[in-house]
Amino acid sequence: MNVAGSIRSRPAPLSDGKRRGYADGIGGGIASSSIDVDMYTDVPSFELSLDEFEEYALARLKVLRKIEEMKTRNLTPEMFRTQLDASIKANLTVTTANNSNPWESKQSSNSNTNMAEASKKLDVASHFILRAAYCRTEDLRRWFLTQECHLFRHRLESVAQTQTGSITDGGGGKKNNDALRNFLANNDFDLECVSRSEKEKLRDKLLSVPSGVNPMDFHNTEYYRVPFVQALELVAKRECYILGGYAYVPLSRIVSIVAAKFRATLSKSLALAAGVFGQVAHDEQARIGPLLKSMNSQYTGPGAPNAVLGADGQEVLTAATVDALAAQSMPLCMKQLHKGLQRDHKLKHMARLQYGLFLKGAGMSLEEHTLFFHKEFTRIMTSDQFNKEYSYSIRHMHGKEGKRGSYTPYNCMKIILGNPPNSGVEHHGCPYKHYDDANLSALLGQLKIGNASEREAIMAHKRDGNFQLACAKHFEVMHPAAASLEGVNLDGVGNHPNAWFSASVSYHNAKSRNGASMDVVKVEGAV
Amino acid sequence: MGAANDDNEEYEFGDDDTGARPTANDNDTKSTVVARSSSSSSTDSKKSTPADSSVVFSPELLGMYYSRLFPYQLLYSWLSYDPATAKPTNGTNTNKVATTSSSSTFPRREFSMTIEPTPGNEVYIRYQSFLSQDELTSAIIKRRPTKIDIGAVFNHPPKDNKSLPAGKLQTTERELVFDIDLTDYDSVRNCGCDGAKICHKCWKFMGMAIEVMDEGLRSDFAFEHVAWFYSGRRGVHCWVCDDTARKLSNEARSAVASYFEVNLGSEKNKNFHLSSPLHPMLVRAYKILEPNFVSCVLPEEGHGLLATRASWTKLLLTLPNAANPVAAKLEEKWSWSKDDTTPEEKWNELKSALMAFIGKGGNNHNAKQVKSLSNADRLRIEHWPLETVFKYTYPRLDINVSKMQNHLLKSPFCVHPKTGRVCVPIEVDKVDSFDPFKVPTLAQLMKELDEYEATNTDSSESVRYDWEKTSLKEPFECFQKKFLVPLLNEERRAQKEERERRAAIVGDF
Ligand SMILES: [Zn+2]
Repeated sequence: MNVAGSIRSRPAPLSDGKRRGYADGIGGGIASSSIDVDMYTDVPSFELSLDEFEEYALARLKVLRKIEEMKTRNLTPEMFRTQLDASIKANLTVTTANNSNPWESKQSSNSNTNMAEASKKLDVASHFILRAAYCRTEDLRRWFLTQECHLFRHRLESVAQTQTGSITDGGGGKKNNDALRNFLANNDFDLECVSRSEKEKLRDKLLSVPSGVNPMDFHNTEYYRVPFVQALELVAKRECYILGGYAYVPLSRIVSIVAAKFRATLSKSLALAAGVFGQVAHDEQARIGPLLKSMNSQYTGPGAPNAVLGADGQEVLTAATVDALAAQSMPLCMKQLHKGLQRDHKLKHMARLQYGLFLKGAGMSLEEHTLFFHKEFTRIMTSDQFNKEYSYSIRHMHGKEGKRGSYTPYNCMKIILGNPPNSGVEHHGCPYKHYDDANLSALLGQLKIGNASEREAIMAHKRDGNFQLACAKHFEVMHPAAASLEGVNLDGVGNHPNAWFSASVSYHNAKSRNGASMDVVKVEGAV
Repeated sequence: MGAANDDNEEYEFGDDDTGARPTANDNDTKSTVVARSSSSSSTDSKKSTPADSSVVFSPELLGMYYSRLFPYQLLYSWLSYDPATAKPTNGTNTNKVATTSSSSTFPRREFSMTIEPTPGNEVYIRYQSFLSQDELTSAIIKRRPTKIDIGAVFNHPPKDNKSLPAGKLQTTERELVFDIDLTDYDSVRNCGCDGAKICHKCWKFMGMAIEVMDEGLRSDFAFEHVAWFYSGRRGVHCWVCDDTARKLSNEARSAVASYFEVNLGSEKNKNFHLSSPLHPMLVRAYKILEPNFVSCVLPEEGHGLLATRASWTKLLLTLPNAANPVAAKLEEKWSWSKDDTTPEEKWNELKSALMAFIGKGGNNHNAKQVKSLSNADRLRIEHWPLETVFKYTYPRLDINVSKMQNHLLKSPFCVHPKTGRVCVPIEVDKVDSFDPFKVPTLAQLMKELDEYEATNTDSSESVRYDWEKTSLKEPFECFQKKFLVPLLNEERRAQKEERERRAAIVGDF
């Protein structure tokens, strides 16, 4: 019942990339690695880190949003297929072996299996995480159901097409045919194979159904009998023969039926899940609930994980520019981290992650990142000490060590929900959330953010517990009329520090393009 | 299931024992009342006495129909889907109808009524529901509705709709219904009728539609309890009452309706094309329709399609251009003064000429010309006879009526206020002989009652219902015997199976 109940979070593994064994209960899938169709009828039992939990969910969210976006444009079926395949490949497919030991990669067959399993885990886990996140309201359920059905249908059609499309090279087609049949059998489809003699008797009728089977292939085509209510799409278009309340459907057209069943099952599960959501949200897993709640508003668009480019098209964030950009374009949390680093010449673990991933997400390369931290840290330690104790974790963040994937920059929700900083010693966290009123108010005044009434507006949001609105207000105050500027994308401001930064940089680019000095803006804001 | 029983505690009236009955007004205020301007309904304003047989409909005649003839027991028994209601109460009406059993859907069924509190002032009341046959009976007699509509079965009694939170009242089941109306045939009615007007010639279209739909519903979808009714004026209604049909989702209803729907082209775009190969359902429909087309549409006494030179010229002009040689040859032949072929012979001649032209059928003497035809032309020529037959005779469904569980449809046994005719059941086996002009009117029924009572003065004879004394006896009894009894037997069987299934489950533990 509890859709997310068995996806557990555990503390993020920071020291190395070792993972416990995954999937001990993937059910209902096609066992072949080439086919990624799953009915998601069995709730999996995975061990996931909180990072993975979020990373997986966002990966799927990108695919589903891509589907939504493509459906609003009038794409040809071919274009839809190609683009969706690309999005699935980019987001829901693990291409590097999830393998803590790089020397094992020589055993390529082994690593192929690993990749397939990892992809499978990613697919199943992300589906169930989003299912839990999207079951809460009617609108969310409908949105999720619609996109998931498109995705499911796309994958199933890929299977069916491989099968029907490869009549000439019988071998490959046959294989998939078996896979599809196994899939059907494993998922309790109420299908009954039409006997050979009945099929021959109905030959003329079965063959006079539009979009049916080529008469040449009739002999080798399997037909199934399904209750007509399971084949409504075919019934409505008169694309199946109907007799005695049953639709007669060739294997290749089972797609419609399976898709309809998937929709019905998922729709029912979502409604049921809505009832148990409260329980998940207030579970002892206090971190999962808020994460699920904010999932649908998560920012997945371009900007956050992408490099921020300057007017010249070059990556703007380097060891040389970071000071100026911190002052000009970083949200409060990152400004504070930057200030802390300049003051203490080092950052504690949590702060290094929050700030380091932000810098990486904003386009700072591994080299620049190392250079920047080296410069600050070596004020209080030797270069050797830095290299020994800190450069590994920077390389790790950039995916050069341990788990060869990559860490995602933290979004606001994650920062807000994270452990609060130890005041005075640690600099991570969200100032709106973690500072008390007096401290925050003093900080805003000290940084000369806006005028008194604007600062009060920010404080009001903070007092109401709307930390992200406070942050968005900060942006608004510092970037007047940003929405009217061409090339400034405000999506995700207040949801993701990287979006804030990226919007701010593009704002200033646009301003300088338009000939306005950014100093003028600053002066106005500081009065 | 439990919820439905709990609801019974909420009703404030309706049990026969409660002395104080609410007035119609009390009840109306709880319901959705929509007043309609009724400038169109002018015929009813003339006052008449029941004895005046030239008037087919009047409020007084309607009042008498509701108090003496309306088959409450048939309607109640049917819509209860409860075998316990199969034994009708005695004519004396002293026996109280047993409280509707908990499984019955009747108390949760929406009725809506169109009433005329004052002449010309129409009021439409939705969300009525009744706990028993008696409650239904007294409401109808009291309100004297000019029209009764039947809606869906809901999760709660619809009359509680105002006291339920918004969105709480939801449909749970509903017969699958179809509505076929002769107004949709205007473009192919060559008899001179249009709109609400009908004649014997165009009524034939209804018979053909019933035959095609009835066969399709039964053999394709395996529905068994299919009832057809005259709509009282210019069309027919179909009620599919199988348990599986009643529980179909809206999506399934749409699919079934679309399955039967053929786009026959519109006034603007007269060309429509059947896809190839022809679906078996359409092949069967053609087999049913073509003989009817030949006998009822082609000849002079039908719609005259091949009866006069003007009409066959017109028909030949609808042939695909590629078949012009055939059209020219036949036009010349048929117009010859000595040609005496009948419309049927002309139709057959035309069909075989077309088949020969595309290289199908017997004398294929012009292989060269056949080869010069494109595949598309050949197909269009091959389909032309089918498309022509379908254009005239294929059922034209108003599928919006069928798509939704909560679409209201006029109750059978009502009286159409414009014609005064009763919405009687139509027997599918005898659809050819059904004559809408012989369906009894209110005035005729009153006369029949008077005559019966004048000749049968012995009051001890065993007539249970007054309708048995009139010409409603035959259609009503037929409905009971051929539709209601098998339906309730089926329900009884299902209930028994359910009991046994439950017993088996309980026994396991
Ligand atoms: Zn007519």
